[in-house]
Amino acid sequence: MELLEVSGLSKRFGGVVALSEASFSARAGEVHALLGENGAGKSTFIQILAGALHPDEGRIALSGAEYRPTNPDAARDRGIVTVFQELSSIPDLTVEGNIWFRREPRTLLGMRDKREIRRRTEALFQRYAFPTLNPGQELRRLGLAERQVVEIAKGLAQDPRIFILDEATSALAARETEWLLDLTRRLAAEGRLVVFISHRMGEVRAVADRLTIFRGGRTVAAHNASEVSDDEIVTQMIGRRLERLYPERLPYATERVALEVRGLSSGARLSDVSFQLREGEVLGVGGLQGHGQRELFQALFGVSRAEGESLLWGKPASIASPRDALIGRDGIALVPEDRRGQGLLLGKSVRENLTLSVIRRISSRGVLRRESEAALVKEMIDFLRIKVSSPEQQTDTLSGGNQQKVIFGKMLLTEARILLLYDPTRGVDVGTKSEIFQLMRDLAAKGYAILFYSSDLPELVNVADRVMVMRQGRIAATLAGDQISEDAILRAALFEEAA
Amino acid sequence: MNAFLARNRLVVLAYVGMFVLLAVTAFFSPGFLSESNLRSSIVLAAFVGIVAFGQTFVIVGGGIDLSVPWVLNSAAILMAAFTGGHDLPLLWVAPLLLVAGGLIGFINGFGVAVFGVPAIIMTLAANVVLQGLIVIYTGGVPPPTAPGLIRYLSVGHVGPIPVIGVIWAVLAIAASLLMSKTAFGRYLYAVGSSTTVAEFSGVPTARTTISTYVLSGVTAALAGILLTGYSGQAYLGMGDPYLFTSIAAVAIGGASILGGTGHYIGTIAGALVLTILAGLLPALGLSTGALMVVYGGVILVTVSLSSDAFVGVWRLVSQWRAAAQR
Amino acid sequence: MASTPAARDGVSGFGAMWVRWLDRAPFLVALLILLVIVAIRSRLESGVLTLDELNVDTASGLTLMLAATGQTIVLLRGGIDLSIGGIISLGTVLAATHFGSDPVSVGAWSLAILAFGFGAGALNGLLISVLRLQPFLVTLAAWSIFTGIATMILPTDGGSVPEWWTRFGYATLLGLSGPVWVLLGLILFWYWFRATRLGIVIQATGSNERSAILSGVSLIRVNIATYGLSGLFAAAAALYLTTQTGTGSPLIGRDYILPSVAAAVVGGISLFGGRGNLVGTLIGAFILTIIGDLVFALHVSSYWQPVLSGLILLVAVLVSSLTEKSARRQSQ
Repeated sequence: MELLEVSGLSKRFGGVVALSEASFSARAGEVHALLGENGAGKSTFIQILAGALHPDEGRIALSGAEYRPTNPDAARDRGIVTVFQELSSIPDLTVEGNIWFRREPRTLLGMRDKREIRRRTEALFQRYAFPTLNPGQELRRLGLAERQVVEIAKGLAQDPRIFILDEATSALAARETEWLLDLTRRLAAEGRLVVFISHRMGEVRAVADRLTIFRGGRTVAAHNASEVSDDEIVTQMIGRRLERLYPERLPYATERVALEVRGLSSGARLSDVSFQLREGEVLGVGGLQGHGQRELFQALFGVSRAEGESLLWGKPASIASPRDALIGRDGIALVPEDRRGQGLLLGKSVRENLTLSVIRRISSRGVLRRESEAALVKEMIDFLRIKVSSPEQQTDTLSGGNQQKVIFGKMLLTEARILLLYDPTRGVDVGTKSEIFQLMRDLAAKGYAILFYSSDLPELVNVADRVMVMRQGRIAATLAGDQISEDAILRAALFEEAA
Repeated sequence: MNAFLARNRLVVLAYVGMFVLLAVTAFFSPGFLSESNLRSSIVLAAFVGIVAFGQTFVIVGGGIDLSVPWVLNSAAILMAAFTGGHDLPLLWVAPLLLVAGGLIGFINGFGVAVFGVPAIIMTLAANVVLQGLIVIYTGGVPPPTAPGLIRYLSVGHVGPIPVIGVIWAVLAIAASLLMSKTAFGRYLYAVGSSTTVAEFSGVPTARTTISTYVLSGVTAALAGILLTGYSGQAYLGMGDPYLFTSIAAVAIGGASILGGTGHYIGTIAGALVLTILAGLLPALGLSTGALMVVYGGVILVTVSLSSDAFVGVWRLVSQWRAAAQR
Repeated sequence: MASTPAARDGVSGFGAMWVRWLDRAPFLVALLILLVIVAIRSRLESGVLTLDELNVDTASGLTLMLAATGQTIVLLRGGIDLSIGGIISLGTVLAATHFGSDPVSVGAWSLAILAFGFGAGALNGLLISVLRLQPFLVTLAAWSIFTGIATMILPTDGGSVPEWWTRFGYATLLGLSGPVWVLLGLILFWYWFRATRLGIVIQATGSNERSAILSGVSLIRVNIATYGLSGLFAAAAALYLTTQTGTGSPLIGRDYILPSVAAAVVGGISLFGGRGNLVGTLIGAFILTIIGDLVFALHVSSYWQPVLSGLILLVAVLVSSLTEKSARRQSQ
């Protein structure tokens, strides 16, 4: 008998249909992948399973018994634990404080039992071969990858029958990803069901026994992993043949150096970085997370303090703030890591967000010119094909992919021809990803110089002309042409002997 | 037109509320709508409105200015002290005091924007320090009376219109233009919504934040100068009521206390609502205590009218209904 | 490449060590300031380092300490409670107008006032959660309402309390005065409270509200508990205040609102929520209380007291601001 059997599940939000008679069926002891573009209904489905939403229609059965959780706590009581993509890390609590949050073992008078907490934490870490973590460390000191690991530990601590991982690897670097994939197989071997959602085909292939594909709120297919090809999967996910996810990579780089960096250092995380980025080039930055990539981008854009020299189009530049960086055609623009916290004013309209960096351009002597603004806004919405009902639509109502496009648009309007893109396709659906890659190459063709960081190895391999691999805050290796491969990047990221 | 109303619904609501209040007041106290009464109401509201001018900018920019009482009081006392009751010294005293107010604002803004001191603490400290310094200066003895010119500006009128009403109107137009039609206004809303995003977008965040506090310091000083004219003399503690009323006026006018939304036009309605209530309740025979209770209630009601409030209630109700069905 | 203010990097060397210390014990600055003040005072006057002085100072400062305790819990939650001013005022007014002379009446009314404080706070918490209103505004409105009610009951200072009630401030047990025992009680309370589920949840919700919600925390319950406790401590402060003043006062609460925040900030409580130790607040409240004594000992006009308070507040917050920034930078 199937452990989890879902049939006829439907859910609408106002006029929008999120799920329409979706079905899902999975067994104990398997790793089951759930695939689909953003907007296909996966997150709604997961939230229903997790008890955070109630379906309009449909039936869910756990080992044959009806399952209708009224709230997330009820779901957890039935053994369904979800690790969402959005972390629930509490920065001021420790690692173990986070793991046992709200279920701390207690002593007399209701006080937490520190010794027992430590014992259980270490037992958990032991049992599942966790990457090294200090249980007493405050979470605010940990990087994103480590927080994701803690999040997973928090889920495991609840002893799930069904363990749902929603894009759990998006924040992880290679080594932790290996561990996690291993973990899913181990959990399945223990007789649990692991539902695994990921956009990365390589990972899905590595662990999934079966897979289910959602599209447009419906279940379009369910396969045994061994019986279906990647192409078929992608076709079923997007409903049409995707010509290619990655665009053709024509060489546009010229001899002209757009950005030259010498001896860039910042704090403890970035040391003596030097490189050249040429006009028309797409230069990828790789390496394990937390090895200085973020610091590099922030230093280049003026968000953090750094020593060293940088030259923009041959001229020395002193960039102490983003304002110094966004100086028009000869400047640098950044599409930042955190869409919601760094990139968009969520409560404001698409129009206001798009023109945020070029307010001087749309005003004369301090007074705004509405027509200039409207013209620029229309131009960018059309160029990037941003799906909005009107420029006045609030950005918090847009999908992740469209939000990312608005941020792109904002930076493109500044006319800066050196673009820094920090993980631009994270959390973005396949269709928009492909558009972004195409955009990058089109811009390169026009003479833009692009530096982009991606945590996704295939992306780096297929989109970049060259790849700089960072390790311990330095550039461990620079790969070009045929040298670029996932293997080569990983090796340079992990080992001392890189070229 | 509908889109305009939708976007600015909170301001519109504030004005609707004000007119309803006016009607109620007229009903219970017909004498209220007399010319002289309306005029004195406008004068009283103008003081709140002038202090709230600066407070609006600060709050929309994501901060708060708790130093308003003693900037106001300091300007009032120093003006009375330096002019000694004569008109002529005003020529240099008034501009000097406005600049001084701006300077205090600059210090506040600097502390908040550059050193990252939370606004509550920075402006609170400024308020306390100013209070101490001024009390030391006066030795506890308030200075002589206000010059005649100031009294004219505060209480006099040009035809039927109070002079201070004209001053307020000019400020109101300036505020509206600044907030809606200028680059500064756009920067202001951005910084108030998210300083980080503004920073990443190349907005001059420090400059914008500091400007809001400078404006607040200047208008608080201006109010202090004019208020001295109104009461004929400066006294210790005259600025204290204006902290609550300036913040309340901004809140009633529909601005979010967190920043990023709101407009001075709303603040005007807020100032008028507070003033009308202050006139209505005595007319109904109610005490100051009752007025404070009503003020509190009005603030709660008006801020609840933002859509978020009802989403919360709706969600609770839906949850209960869903739970009841199981 | 210099820095923007919003992105100042951590300091190095000696500075870095200092930052690490402060991160672990944010009330170190407060402790230092306190020691300096006590040291100066003990050089200028005699009898400073005695038990008697401790008793007296604690007696003057306990109202603020109680108010600041409630405020600390709210600040940990990431909110702010301006209504304590109104609760304190109304508390003293109710006490002064309803206390009979016998212990039963006083006891019953004290309980009623404490219940009122908790209830008022809980109502604040409810409004904040259900109506999604900002704590600043809700508690501002509540302050106005409660002060208004207090003024309606007692337009000016008045009423009375039994004579024996006012003796609490100098009753001693084992050499320590009543207030000092209460202070010790507060410290014990703190170390218990922050290890309980509720204490942990309040701190966590202040640290990151969204994460707390995702972890299944009920905001309604947390806010009701947080603001309810704050109201409870404000009511306790009111009761204690009446043992000192012997009257009810409709406007007195206002003098405790911002100082309660100041005491917490000086003590290292972060205004953003999630971090801080009540001991720091208590030290901060102590500092604010004895500044007056310091000014007196320095033979300077008492008018300098507010100036000194303001400056200390600024120094303390600047230091903790800089270290908080460094800590934040480290964590990225």
